Amino acid sequence: MITGANAVIRTAEPDDGAFLKAFYDPALPRSCLLDQRRELIVPTLDEVREVLAQKEQGRSVFYAVEDLEGQVRGFCSLRGLNQEAGYSEFIVILVDDADFGRPLATEVFEFLTRRAFYDVRLNKVMTHALGCEAAYRAYLLRHGFKSDGVQREAVFTLGRWHDLEAFTLFRSDVPSLAVEAVCP
Amino acid sequence: MPIKTKTFIRRAEREDLDTVVAWMEDPDFVEFLYGDPARSPKQIRERIVAMLGRTASQTVPGSVYLIIDSEDEGPIGLLSLQNISWRNRSCSLDVYLGHKKARNHLVGAIAFYRTMQYCFEELNLHRITAYIYSFNRASWSIMEKVGAMRELTLREHVARDGKLHDVYCYGLLRREFEAFREANPKLVAGVMESMMERQSEEARES
Repeated sequence: MITGANAVIRTAEPDDGAFLKAFYDPALPRSCLLDQRRELIVPTLDEVREVLAQKEQGRSVFYAVEDLEGQVRGFCSLRGLNQEAGYSEFIVILVDDADFGRPLATEVFEFLTRRAFYDVRLNKVMTHALGCEAAYRAYLLRHGFKSDGVQREAVFTLGRWHDLEAFTLFRSDVPSLAVEAVCP
Repeated sequence: MPIKTKTFIRRAEREDLDTVVAWMEDPDFVEFLYGDPARSPKQIRERIVAMLGRTASQTVPGSVYLIIDSEDEGPIGLLSLQNISWRNRSCSLDVYLGHKKARNHLVGAIAFYRTMQYCFEELNLHRITAYIYSFNRASWSIMEKVGAMRELTLREHVARDGKLHDVYCYGLLRREFEAFREANPKLVAGVMESMMERQSEEARES
């Protein structure tokens, strides 16, 4: 468990399943919850619990993000590790879009990038944002992610097509971590 | 000038296994394969067996494998439609030309054109996505010629021979394919003509 000045980050448990399931809201599509085919899915509670119970495998650990009052504010993860090419998918989902502009979200960013670039020693992390995820997009750009481009009309939901933008953050884009990474 | 060709696509059969496995053992071919280059021949063979063993019994298959065949040369390549989404009406496309003589722009372009026809006119898809290594210029230039847009550049995304290479993601929408056809009526007519000739021949033979 990591206790920061604004957030507590801990490994998510199957008991967090109901809270995570609430994020699979067809009215508020989130890019990081799309499946491999980029389809919006609505899993059962058991399926969500199963995902959260996979922490022993260590490849796609979900972390719960709590505020200092102990309320779960969202989840974060590094998943889909590609060891050979040295990258992983970066995921942050927060219940309130306004949280992306708060120090809590900055602590989540620092936690994940430290895990990715210092602990796992990745070369880059990647993530996506749908056109309707303006707060998440702004959060990524504010923290140094750069756009790789936009996949046009890639997702269909709510009666229309949505574009899907890809973002990458390289270790060299995070100066403080780049210095640390060369130290054994 | 219209292009007439004896190249066509068909569903991959179990009988194609040996041909595809032989391609997989060719380093020039494997270099462009998407995925882990360290897979053993056994793993590759098992994957192909599983792939060709899939039947059309599923009404909404998640993937379709097609063989690019030629009346003159026999099987010359493999087309793979992966991650077919019936909700997004999209899929990702891989084109592999296994027969060395067939590794040219013309065969690739015709195979790609036929696949697009199949995706848009038979499967009723809205979008095709293709991830192509930046060093595979022959493939991505075909995509650009038929109107696909380079949508993503994934920097340092794949490791080959100890180096990291970029990967390009191309997207082609149905309306762009239709615009390409309208802009190239003679070329399309030639391909269509040869397809109809082949169908007539098949009908006569049967």
